[in-house]
Order: sequence, then structure tokens, then C-alpha cells
Amino acid sequence: MVTRLRPESLAELRDAVRDGPSRLLITGAGTAAGWGGTPAPHDAVLDVTGLNAVLAYQPSDLTVTVQAGLPLAALQDVLAKKGQQVALDAGRIARGATVGGLLATADGGPARHTYGTLRDCVIGVTTVLADGTVARSGGRVIKNVAGYDLAKLFHGSLGTLGVIAEVTLRLHPLAEASCTVAAACTPERSLELAHRMMRDALEPVALEWYDGRLLARFDGTASGVTRRARATGFEEADPSVWQEVADVSLGGPGDTVFRIGTLPGLWPWVAARVRARTASPPVLSSSLGAGVHTVRLGNTTASSFDRLREDIAGRGGGTVVLRRGIEVPAWGPPPASVAVMRAVKQRFDPSDRFGAGRFTPWF
Amino acid sequence: MDACVIRDFVAVLGRDNVLTEPTELRTYECDGLTGYRVVPALVALPGSAAEVAATVKVCARHGIPFVARGAGTGLSGGALPVADGVVICLQRLRRVLEVDPMNRRAVVEPGVTNREISRAAAPYGLYYAPDPSSQQVCTIGGNVAENSGGAHCLKYGFTVHHVLAADVVLADGTVTTLGGDSPQQPGYDLLGAFIGSEGTLGVVTRVVVRLLPKPATVSTVVADFATVAAAGDTVTSVIAAGIVPAAVEMLDNLTIQAVEAAVAAGYTADAAAALVIELDGPDDEVTEQFGQVLELCRRHGSTNLRVAGDPAERELIWRGRKAAFAAAGRLSPDYIVQDGVVPRGRLGEVLVRIAGMADAAGLRVANVFHAGDGNLHPLVLYNRAAGELERAERLSTAIAELCVELGGSLSGEHGIGTDKACSMPAMFTQDDLDTMQRLRAAFDPEGLCNPGKIFPTPRLCGERPGPYRPHPLEVAGVIDRW
Repeated sequence: MVTRLRPESLAELRDAVRDGPSRLLITGAGTAAGWGGTPAPHDAVLDVTGLNAVLAYQPSDLTVTVQAGLPLAALQDVLAKKGQQVALDAGRIARGATVGGLLATADGGPARHTYGTLRDCVIGVTTVLADGTVARSGGRVIKNVAGYDLAKLFHGSLGTLGVIAEVTLRLHPLAEASCTVAAACTPERSLELAHRMMRDALEPVALEWYDGRLLARFDGTASGVTRRARATGFEEADPSVWQEVADVSLGGPGDTVFRIGTLPGLWPWVAARVRARTASPPVLSSSLGAGVHTVRLGNTTASSFDRLREDIAGRGGGTVVLRRGIEVPAWGPPPASVAVMRAVKQRFDPSDRFGAGRFTPWF
Repeated sequence: MDACVIRDFVAVLGRDNVLTEPTELRTYECDGLTGYRVVPALVALPGSAAEVAATVKVCARHGIPFVARGAGTGLSGGALPVADGVVICLQRLRRVLEVDPMNRRAVVEPGVTNREISRAAAPYGLYYAPDPSSQQVCTIGGNVAENSGGAHCLKYGFTVHHVLAADVVLADGTVTTLGGDSPQQPGYDLLGAFIGSEGTLGVVTRVVVRLLPKPATVSTVVADFATVAAAGDTVTSVIAAGIVPAAVEMLDNLTIQAVEAAVAAGYTADAAAALVIELDGPDDEVTEQFGQVLELCRRHGSTNLRVAGDPAERELIWRGRKAAFAAAGRLSPDYIVQDGVVPRGRLGEVLVRIAGMADAAGLRVANVFHAGDGNLHPLVLYNRAAGELERAERLSTAIAELCVELGGSLSGEHGIGTDKACSMPAMFTQDDLDTMQRLRAAFDPEGLCNPGKIFPTPRLCGERPGPYRPHPLEVAGVIDRW
């Protein structure tokens, strides 16, 4: 049984890293344990869920500072009392995903169309590095360009650079009203409809193709969302569909789930490629404004998955594996910047203490 | 500079694009922060991304430090040359390579101005959101280096939220791409870390920016107030009502007078403070929320409400606001622009303290700022000929550090550059700064890329403080370390 370290304060976390065993696997709620490569053997699991306090909340400044092990759902409850939110709706949130985990995995949901991911909301971060250094970057105000923004570096780091200990986020007001509409369409047609909706400045907060339909959500005032929803000509839809969309990223036993980023306009091509390369019908969703496609395959082979990933890389797309039901390398052809990523890893964690194996075979 | 080194640059760029004459070099001795001047040894004028890479390779081969430069409008000395170093001027790379309306993006070279991007996108009903006041002349390359904001960033964010990818020449002359076709990219967000690194991690040669559809409705009001505090309270109420305006700007009386003298934008000359509040978005939302904003202004005692009746009037209001820095020249022969940020809730407090500090220093400070996000732009007015420079610089630094003491930041959008490097220990510990240097070293192990910026150096700031210091925010009681 691997040792489990569960510090409950920043000081304990620092000590756990500084004095703990060599190889550490950082974990929050464990909702993304399958993301990226399979962790190499490690000496201890460093569980940050004991750091779960709200450290400072200033509703009038639209900012909140929390310890990284706080589940985002719990934070949302606190913020909702003041009519505010962290504008993130990734599927894992309902399963207890932590703020630090959501930052480290670069996860997102349908609201990425307007708000992006935590990269776009994080304004400050405190991290503990492999040598026990406690380092802050950013700040607690929305607008700040002093020094390097290291929070960005940790976005997508999958626990390989250091431990995210505290996070400061910018907040958004909760909308007074919301309305969801849907229209059955093909991926090709969805692009045209989405383009028209954006061109007409209807400002959907989320815009997603899922399961044969284009879905749009409007947030705003009661009269405003009704009017804009009507202007689409779509049917009104049950808003619970957004959780279904977000849940495409989760998958179950045996599923292979991955997320692809391409030019938004390549979406019909991506959908066609995925279908052509898989035996059973895939579950697909696409954020049409951002060009982020999430794919769940129940049944595939390593060779067809590899070919699919190469197809996508050939069109400039990147792929992140969220769950592997089959044995395939976690990462496909590396991006041009992989050499810089290696150099960053080398400078931040020279003895490879954190998350070994997550970026195999890239580094 | 050694003749054979100059020959290497000439071989890459041609004689006409390598400047070495002292009179030519002097043009590049400073950026918008004119108090700092250093004449570089050579100015390179590459005309393509490949020539930028080749120029950097020559620098790397000879161990020569280099500084990339766009339009030179930066206000923190980020493009200040290094003595014996090279300035790589990117003004010749000024093509809009592509506007892709279906994918809502534009691909541009670094020397393209901020305003040109929106101009190129306009036929498609699209625009580029970040709008620094210098947008007519500042370049996208400089915007990427500084993570430029602008008046509308409370709602729309900064450069980092609007750039999808950048081709970057690293300090050894190799070329890489950060980011990609989609915000969904595997691995560390190197692009996010690069944006705002003030030219210390590499030179941008191509930028892919996100374009937004123009909002359906825009409504703008100028609200006058009898006190700065009343204006500040109004802003707090607007945010508390769940409204995120596209922009909330505040001008104090000194600034209003200067602006009116300069561009006659119709501000009320004797108002103690004016708020410019702009909402944009869908019709119903803007109409309803704008009504709420006007009501809140009245409730806080606004003495006059001027609603822009048409786009031309809105343009005029903004011309006044954006001319504020330049107009300060009407109040004083010299001035320093500060850029500190405070949590919005402490705006009133910081203004009172700035006024006290200005009185103590015997100098005037005009205030114009982005009230929505607490980003101040105090203009420290002084007369160099009367020997007031040093006093003004001390006051300016004290204001920036006061912002940190109140839980804010040294800089909201102008960058640290040369100007505020020595104040960085007021905001960050040595451990924090050393950690940032790890990123620096990963990109540029030799330290050739825009050295001497952001980080305090003994040469610039005197001896460094000792290794142990409590975090400045701890001392201020803003954070607990343990």
C-alpha cells in the first residue's frame, strides 16, 4: 500500500513535499485520475483535499481565494448566496472535482464558449515546488501584469510541475434568467447555424453540438433570453441537457474518452473521421465557437485510435486522452513547443518528483 | 560593436536594414517612458519572420543581448535598449495575413497595430476586443509582450484572453509555436505564460487573435459627481447589482480640465469627478441594465447625466478619455503615469492617501482610472526644469507600492519593465521571483532576451535584500502564510 500524505495547511503541505518521500503523485478528488499517461510507480500519494478552505471572498471585487483542494461545487454554493459564480461547468464538478484539479487538468464544459476554462478565470496562484519552495504569482486583483503569470503554466500540467496550493479566481454574476434551445442538425449544418447565431450578435453563453442537435443557452434578463431564444427559431429544450453534454468527458469502465482541439470549422471533418475510424457509434460533442470536441468511444482498437489521432494531428489538432479503455500511448505526435515544455519541467522539477509518467512518451 | 559582428547582421538583413550611426540609433533610445534612455549598439530592421530568427541567431552566436521593439509606446521601459545590445525593431512586419470570419480569427504580423486588426475585421461584423488607449499606434507584438488591457477589459479580459497562438523566436534563434488552432491544447499553457512576459522569453513573429462579433447594442453615459467618493460608491453599487459593464472609467477634476482643454470632448469642467460607464450586449439586457445604471447614478447624487445619443458622441467621449495622458501635458511640462491596482473596495481610501502623499511632496497628481477593476492611472505632474524629477519619481514609486500594501498590484497593464523592477520585492518574495526566473531560464538560459526588465538587479536597484523576508502581503495582513 502506497503511503498517503494528507496535509491540512499550506505549512503542512510544504513540509510534506520537503520532507516526504521522493516520488509523489498529487491528487485532489481523483476525478481525473485517468487523464494523460499512466503514473509511474511512486512512493506516496499527496492528497490535497485537506486544504479546502475559502481564504478570502470579496463579492464587491468579484474575486475569491481558496485552497486548491476545495471542491468547486462547494465553492459555487458559497458564491451563489451572493449571486456569483466561477464560470466553469466541466462534467467532473458534480463528482467533486477540486479547484486545483480543474486548473491542473485544463478541464472545461459548454460555458467555455464564453468564459473559457480556469486559465481565463485564475488571477493568482500559490504553488509548492519539489524543493519545498512556496511561490506565489499573480495577485488578488482582476487586473495585474506584475511578474510572470505562473498560474497559466500549471494549467494543463497534470500534477507534473508542483503542487497547486491556493488559487485566486475572478468571478462572474449569476444570470437572472436562462433559456436553452435546440435544433436537430448534422455537424455540417450546425456550423452554419452557429455562425449565423454569432453573426446576429445573439450572444449564446454556450453553443454545443451534441447527440444530433445544436444546443444554445442564453443567459441574461427574463425578457432578453426569451427574445433571443425565439430569434434562433429553435425549439426550447430542457436545461438538464447541459449536464449530459458535460458528462461526455466522464465515460464509464471500458470507455475511451478524449478531447480534441482544432479550428472550429473542422468540426464536420472531425466528426466524420471519428465515425470512420470506430466500429461502434461514438458519443460526440463539440463547442462550436472554440473548436473543442469531446469524444467517447465504447469500442475501439489501439490501431484505429492511433490512426485517428494522427489524422487529427495532420490537420493541426491536438488530442488529450481523458480515459483509456484500451492500451494506447497517452499522447500522440507532440506539438512544436514540446522542447520548451521539457525545459520548463526540468527547471521546476529537475529530479522528476511529481507525476512521473503523465507525459510519457513526450517527457 | 565589432565590425565583423556588424557584418554578420548585414549578411542576414542587408546594409539598409542595419543601423549603426549614432544619430539613427538615438531614435530607439527609449520607449514611452522617456526618463530612461540607453543608446543601443545596433538596430536591426528585419522584414520577415525568417529574418527575425536569423537576427536572433547572430545575437545568440555572439552572446549579444537583444530587445524587441514594436511602436515604442510602452510606458514602463520594457523596450529600453541594452547598452552594447541590439534592438530588433518589428515595424516592417506589418501585414494582416488572414482574416477568417468563419473561424472568427485573424492572423497578423507583430508590427500590425491594434486598431488595424479591428479595421480589417470590420467588414465581417467582427472586432478585436482589447483596446489600450494607444491602440492607434501600438502594435499587437507589443500587446502580447505586455498583456495589454484597455478600457473594456473588465468585461472582455486582456490580450491573454484573445490570442490563440503565437510563433515565437526563442533566444537561441529557434522558432516554435505556442498555442494552436483551438484553446484546447495539450500540456502546459506556455502561450499564457508567454503573454505578458515583457519580451523576456522570446520575440513574437506571428499572432493568431480571436475576433468577436460586434455587440448588438452599446450604451454610454458620462455621469458627473460632486465628490470622487460618490463616483466610487456608484461603481460599487453597479457591480453589486450583478452588472458587468463593458467599461467603467473615472476622471477627476484635474484630468477633466486637461481633457477639455485638449480635445473639448464635452466633459463638465467643474465636476469633481466623471464616470464613463458603457454597457454592451444584447438589446434587452443593455436597455434594462442601462436603466439601472442611470438610476444608481442618480441615487448617488450624480449632478449631470450625459447619455451618448449616437456613435459619434460616444466616439467623442472616448476620444476625451483616451487622450487623458497626452492632455496632462496641458497641466504640467512633465508628468509620470502610474499604473497600480487596488481592490475596488479600497478605491476611496487609496485616492485620499494619494492626495495626502502628493501634498506632502508638494506635487499635483491627476487621476484617471479604470474604476471597474481598480486600475489607477495617477499622473504625477512635475517640472523637470525646476528640479522636481527626483521628488516625482519617489512619489510615483510610493504610489505603486501603496497599491500593493492595500492588497493590489504594482501594475495593471503597463508592465514592470525597467520602471518598477526595483519595486517587485514590495509585491513578491525572493522565492517568488526566483521561481519566475525558472521559467525565464527554461526559455532563455543565457539571459540574452530583454535583460534587466521585470526583475530587480543590483545594478538597477542597489544590493538585493537578504534571503529571509516575510511576504509583503503578510505584513499588510492581507494573507497568512502559514
